[in-house]
Amino acid sequence: MTLKIVIAVLLGIVSGYYVLPKDILNYADYIIDFGLMLLLFFVGIDIGLNKSVFSRIKAKGIKILLVPIAIIIGSITGSAIAGIILKLPFNEAGAIGAGLGWYSLSSILIASYSNELSALAFISNVIRELIAIITIPLIAKKIGFVEAIAPAGATAMDTSLPIISKATDSEIALIAFITGAICTFAVPVLVPFILNL
Amino acid sequence: MTTRLFLYLGIIVLGGLIGARAKLKENFIKRLGSFQTACLLFLLFIMGVKIGMDEKVINSFLSIGLNALIMSIFTVGFSIIFVYIINKLCLGGKE
Repeated sequence: MTLKIVIAVLLGIVSGYYVLPKDILNYADYIIDFGLMLLLFFVGIDIGLNKSVFSRIKAKGIKILLVPIAIIIGSITGSAIAGIILKLPFNEAGAIGAGLGWYSLSSILIASYSNELSALAFISNVIRELIAIITIPLIAKKIGFVEAIAPAGATAMDTSLPIISKATDSEIALIAFITGAICTFAVPVLVPFILNL
Repeated sequence: MTTRLFLYLGIIVLGGLIGARAKLKENFIKRLGSFQTACLLFLLFIMGVKIGMDEKVINSFLSIGLNALIMSIFTVGFSIIFVYIINKLCLGGKE
């Protein structure tokens, strides 16, 4: 699956850069929106087919909220450590990590602070989404299902969710959606907060 | 953002209800899996197209790509480590 995913994304990037006419860009967002909704509908069907999902999630209860919390703390810690290597102050590096893969919003939130940092936030969060798309099936296989949610961050409720659902099971897909939703709400709060530290 | 969340949630719930209530044939479910994979790969292709067509993105990839890559590897790496730890400590650690 990972190989197929890498090929699909690379083929898209190459044909977008060299081959396809620019007009397609006008439709790309509609195609992505439609495709995403179709895939989320399938994720729903998968969850519906496994009726035991809800009781298993209920058994874990409030503890599943630890997953988004761990992702948020892990992301900020990781970016702060990368910041030491790249000689960026904590507030700047941490703000990039707090983007949690939501590249459009995190770069907009940082734009008024610095254009350079905004570009870095954009690209590194784009790369985060790419890393997520590619590594989720691998992490699910080699490390564990819950851990497979981690690279996705805020995208666990939309673009990464179909991949998580395919690589794990319905229970993890539901936890991923909840995690993605919490991360999504955290980004606009955390990025400005850390930037102003 | 909130409307999107509820839209996605609504779609998943709708799919869930159909999955739980409708009597779906085994054969159909199997075929659904391959259709799902095809849709997913197509979606990823289009996402790639979007990135490839954005010259600003491609140009900044070349100039700050390495720094951004270091940033994202650490961000993703520590996210996995922290989730691994709470999974072992609090969520039973299986799966």
